[in-house]
Amino acid sequence: MSQREYHIVVLGSGGVGKSCLTAQFVQNVWIESYDPTIEDSYRKGIMVDGRHVVLEILDTAGTEQFTAMRELYMKTGQGFLLVFSITSMTSLHELAELREQIIRIKDDMRVPIVLVGNKSDLEEDRAVSRARAFAVSQSWGGCPYYETSARRRANVDEVFTDLCRQIILKDMKDAQVRDYDNPRRPHRNQRYPDRDSGGRTGRRTGEGSGRRRPKKKERCTIL
Amino acid sequence: MADFQDLNLDEPQFHASAFVAPLVINKSPQRSRSASRHTRQSSSKSVCRRTTSIRSQSQSQISPPLTPRTSREELPSAEPQAEFHNYLRAFYHFHPTSTVSSSTDESSITVPINQGDVILVHSVHPNGWADGTLLASGARGWLPTNYCEAYDHQSIRSLLSALTHLWDLVRDGESGDLDVFTKQDYVRGMIAGVRFFLEKTQCLTRESALIVAHVGLRRMRKGLLGDLSTLVKTAKKLQELLQSAGSTLAVFEALDELVLKAFKLVTRAVRFLDIWAQDAVSVPVPFDLSESTNRPLTPPVDSADAQIAPATLPLDLGLNEDATADHAAMVPQASSSTRDEREDPRSQQHHPRTRSRASFTFALPPTESSAPQSSSLLSAQPQSKRLSVTHRLSYTGKSQGLRRQNLASERLCAAHDSFLGFIGSFIGLHLQSRSSSELLMTTRDSVIACRQLLTVVEGVWERDSQRSDPLEHARATMYVKLSELVQATKEMFSNSESVNGEDVFMPDSGKQLVTAATSCVRAAGECVTKARVVIERIGDFEFEQAGPGISETILEGINANLEKETETCNQEPQDTDKPLPAPPPEPVARPPPPPLLISESKPLPEPPAPSPILNPETLHPVIVESPTAVSFRSSRSSLPPLSQLPIPTLPQPSPSDASQSPASATHRFFGQAGRADSVNVSVAGSTSTYPNSVRGDSASIISEVSTRATTPDHSPTTRHGEQAFISSFGSTSELHSIASEETTGLEAQLLEKTFVHELIYNKEGQISGGSLPALVEQLTTHESTPDSMFVTTFYLTFRLFTTPVDFANCLIDRFDYVGDSQEVGVPVRLRVYNVFKGWLETHWQADCDPSALGVILSFATGKLRTALPAAAKRLAELTTKVTEVRAGALVPRLVSSMGKTGISSTIYSAVDSAAPNPVISKSQLNALKNKTSQCNILDFDPLELARQITIIESKLFCSIQPSELLASEWTKKNTKKAVNVRAMSTLSTDLANLVADTILSLEDPKKRAIVIKHWVKISMKCLELNNYDSLMAIICSLNSSMVLRLKRTWECVSMKTKARLEELKTIVDVGRNYAVLRQRLLNHVAPCIPFVGIYLTDLTFVDVGNQTTRQLPGDDGHEGVSVINFDKHMRTAKIVGQLQSFQVPYRLVPIPEMQDWMEAQIKRVRASDQSNVQSYYRRSLLLEPREPAQAVKAAAPLESSAQSITSKDRFDFLSTFTFSSASNIKDR
Repeated sequence: MSQREYHIVVLGSGGVGKSCLTAQFVQNVWIESYDPTIEDSYRKGIMVDGRHVVLEILDTAGTEQFTAMRELYMKTGQGFLLVFSITSMTSLHELAELREQIIRIKDDMRVPIVLVGNKSDLEEDRAVSRARAFAVSQSWGGCPYYETSARRRANVDEVFTDLCRQIILKDMKDAQVRDYDNPRRPHRNQRYPDRDSGGRTGRRTGEGSGRRRPKKKERCTIL
Repeated sequence: MADFQDLNLDEPQFHASAFVAPLVINKSPQRSRSASRHTRQSSSKSVCRRTTSIRSQSQSQISPPLTPRTSREELPSAEPQAEFHNYLRAFYHFHPTSTVSSSTDESSITVPINQGDVILVHSVHPNGWADGTLLASGARGWLPTNYCEAYDHQSIRSLLSALTHLWDLVRDGESGDLDVFTKQDYVRGMIAGVRFFLEKTQCLTRESALIVAHVGLRRMRKGLLGDLSTLVKTAKKLQELLQSAGSTLAVFEALDELVLKAFKLVTRAVRFLDIWAQDAVSVPVPFDLSESTNRPLTPPVDSADAQIAPATLPLDLGLNEDATADHAAMVPQASSSTRDEREDPRSQQHHPRTRSRASFTFALPPTESSAPQSSSLLSAQPQSKRLSVTHRLSYTGKSQGLRRQNLASERLCAAHDSFLGFIGSFIGLHLQSRSSSELLMTTRDSVIACRQLLTVVEGVWERDSQRSDPLEHARATMYVKLSELVQATKEMFSNSESVNGEDVFMPDSGKQLVTAATSCVRAAGECVTKARVVIERIGDFEFEQAGPGISETILEGINANLEKETETCNQEPQDTDKPLPAPPPEPVARPPPPPLLISESKPLPEPPAPSPILNPETLHPVIVESPTAVSFRSSRSSLPPLSQLPIPTLPQPSPSDASQSPASATHRFFGQAGRADSVNVSVAGSTSTYPNSVRGDSASIISEVSTRATTPDHSPTTRHGEQAFISSFGSTSELHSIASEETTGLEAQLLEKTFVHELIYNKEGQISGGSLPALVEQLTTHESTPDSMFVTTFYLTFRLFTTPVDFANCLIDRFDYVGDSQEVGVPVRLRVYNVFKGWLETHWQADCDPSALGVILSFATGKLRTALPAAAKRLAELTTKVTEVRAGALVPRLVSSMGKTGISSTIYSAVDSAAPNPVISKSQLNALKNKTSQCNILDFDPLELARQITIIESKLFCSIQPSELLASEWTKKNTKKAVNVRAMSTLSTDLANLVADTILSLEDPKKRAIVIKHWVKISMKCLELNNYDSLMAIICSLNSSMVLRLKRTWECVSMKTKARLEELKTIVDVGRNYAVLRQRLLNHVAPCIPFVGIYLTDLTFVDVGNQTTRQLPGDDGHEGVSVINFDKHMRTAKIVGQLQSFQVPYRLVPIPEMQDWMEAQIKRVRASDQSNVQSYYRRSLLLEPREPAQAVKAAAPLESSAQSITSKDRFDFLSTFTFSSASNIKDR
């Protein structure tokens, strides 16, 4: 099967450190000087569940004020990282509007989204509690919630991998839906909640980890 | 092999040439020379002859010289291997003579050393002979290390390492890498070294107590400065030569000269230090005593010892390039003979023949006869710590092609590179084809690469007598990581086999694999760093080919794995369970190293016990052997497969080195001979390429090149001969006087405080980092006009890494420490003034810079006034002007200097052509003037609309200040700086909204279609006007979901318009990082309004993606100082420069009425639009309500994204309004 390419769009208001998140993800360990102006600046191949995928990341950093451009960005995306800073409640609130726009443009409630609370290293300045953010992610159809620290490179890869996994799963679901002409999605709310791998989204660790793996295996066998 | 033997057979015909000379070289120097000149002209004249003849006898047995003594077990070399010393100093005389040479067939070039000589060591043979270059003469050859001791004195260390660096650079230069010589930075290392040296010895200034009190030192200091100044001159000459694209030959001559000058400088510094330590310093010596007490006597050439020396060593006086007049007087004989020989044309005639022969002989592998001998001797050889030749680790590390590939350092690099390559593809791409076999292949490659790296590291560790703990630790860690990686892969396979399907889901093992691989990379990096440190300490050495054994074992294992997939688990452990020392013992079946044989048969001469100067018996006669010496230079590396065979080829010396050494050693003064040498030698150098004959015809030219250091620095063509000759010898009184004149100027330069060592350069030779003083120094350099890119970057970004006050103070410091010298001080001070001036005139920022105004003003009225009154007056004026003019720069900056090249020329290409006439009718104008009448967008010509939009936009764009673009200023909530950038984005958004508004305000789909068509036309015109920003806004809006979903409207839009729109959409496509748009903007002609968003994103990512500081390379494992990451600022400035290059106003006629109207429209849209996009979307839904899925499918002709259409039917009209609750509704 040919190599898959997925488009991921990173959104969030200015100053939440989303560009930092992207830069951390895209840069390889052994790059010394980063040049964002070349075509491959935002491409990266990763392994997701045994598949090799290439991610092309569109980060709108710096152009937040060009609100008219947003749609253009959103159109290209198959999955979205909605990033806020845990030190700013408004940055979380601003995401709601973005999510609505995404869903409207994609015309799809199930569009893969991951909610990301960045700057987890600034615990002392925390303004958004985990519970709060998690509640938001639940109200968004149970999309995964991560807390990351781009500065410390904590959970960075995990966020992108999870989003990518969602895109892949959605692809598969869509294929099934098409195949069996059965648009009902069985477990929207059961989509794996936050992952325990980083240990940062502590809330439902036991539950999350307990459920996910067997589910994965199941899917393996389906295919 | 066979080929080479054939060649060997052919050899005799070449040997038939007459000038086969016996090995009479250095016996009793002066006499032998004159004698040989009389008796056998040809032999004494060219060293090439000597060396080739040697080769004919020696059967190309490559080895350091044989001592006349019988072999001894307790060789000096067998001592526990100590650190590798880059410099040695002879403590005994060693004058090899040729007496024994004829009796034995051994051959090698030894170099005579005199007590006190300082030698740059290239490699050390296991038997204790070292391949070194005498600084005093530039001669290269073998010398016994037991006659020497390490020379490493604290105060002279930096000078010595600068010299080593220079040597390496020149070596690189020989291979064509001349870039570094176009700048003079490399000489600064030498200057800094001398400065450091004088500082340490407390002799920096003329007024220092020691200098005043001690006549000898004063003289030496002067001489030292003279030498330095000639060095600097040579460097300048070289620079000019390169810039004027001089002939290769001339360049290489200059390179030669450079090295010799540097040698001379260091030689003098050494002597200076001797005098200083012996006589002058009654004050406590600032370095450890053992060093100073053990230090051998001053070389006899030293002016202090001049009285003794001549009697015993007449020749060596000549060899040394001492500048004292006494010596010059003592060598007339030698110099005259030199001249005689230089004019001898015959030797020149011999060149071609010698060359051809040499090139064949040198490439010969050891003959069969020597092989058995070596093996038998090998068995008898006791274990020696030093198993192979030790090389000095090159600093530059560039000329990999030139160097021997089996050097440990090279192997280390190569292994690391290939490891990174494999593991990189392993991490990134290895599941691309998700077939287990391919994955297995990649894994195997990675493991093999990793193994190879481990083998090299192991080798380094084994060789190090001290068994470096950190290295061992790092190695162990890496091995563990590798095991983990293998384990992870294994797991992966066991899984994959159980599933045995195409789409394999193994989330955890995949992740584990990547983690394992990543940690493996880290461990490897650590390991390589540690290994390198060790290599640096013990010296580089030749690394035996780690036999294919290792990889084969693994290979087999994995192959088996591949074949019998069911037994995967049983096969793999073979790898993982292996004990720690990764390299298996088999490959250590190293080719029987001939070094051992040599060390047996050719012990070092026993160091003389009594003072050798007075005891002639201690001058051991040593055979001059064939130049089969081991060499640092790697001509040999291109003898590819042979060197890997387990035949005693390993320490095979590059013949070139050997052959060249005697030349310079013994015939330093023989102009002609020297010339012949250089040619011959270079031929030897080209032998290495013989197998593939890459160099082919050009060999003769290149060959000149290959022997930089040892080639006497007179040109092969006689016309420069004399001049070059003289200039290269500091000992002539002529030069001495010249030197003394120059001393003053150089002294000033030397005294110059410098921060050069705090700069970091990138591969392209640009400054990528540096401390503030170092950067300021670069900004005010007197040597050349500072790089405009550098200056602009500095002005633009300095506020990001320093404050205006600090910058001003740093400039003033620079003004102070540059001194009063006419030579250096004035230009630099003028530059300092110019920097201030440029800052105040064009780069002043009224919001933050005034804090520095006080500092600048006091400088202008104080120090600057006393030094440069006129400049001071001007600067003072500027400071007052700056305070008056609040906003903007004093001198309007049209286009930044960065953008000027290439673009400025095209800027007003249309200057003479008048601005195009507006396309607008009187009635239209009247309608616009009449505020009450309702104008429609359709009333106006698309071109004129596009023009007026462009004018409005251009006005904003051109007023964007660079400072608005720094430090993500525009993203800050309450920015006061980035007003124009903000205005741009607002305008862009407004325009997009206006487009939507004009379309969505119409009830009739047909009318909407007409408006869409109109906007497409306008955007076409925007493209023609290079107004990408407006183009982007309009296309965005036409492409937005609220417009795009109007199916009935689009049905009314003509195919032509749709096609046009598609075209425009590809231009502003965000995909592939705006590849299309970027391509268009590249080298675009101004005026142009690029899409500013690209630059804003780029600037953001340069800011967050690059560190603010860089580490200076630390010495000896010390963590370097962190300095400003100037590379980041250069990148920032480059982007800003690109943007600025487009900041050129359009030549268009504004129509105020139309602009007013448009602005009114925008204002109306802005006011009416409460929640922006949503309200438009609502309107869109009202105009054309949702339809069933099938119908929607047929519509959306322009929908390009991979949208899931089937999902549409699950959403009704309402749910899209109430988004937040929508999910709940749906899921219920």
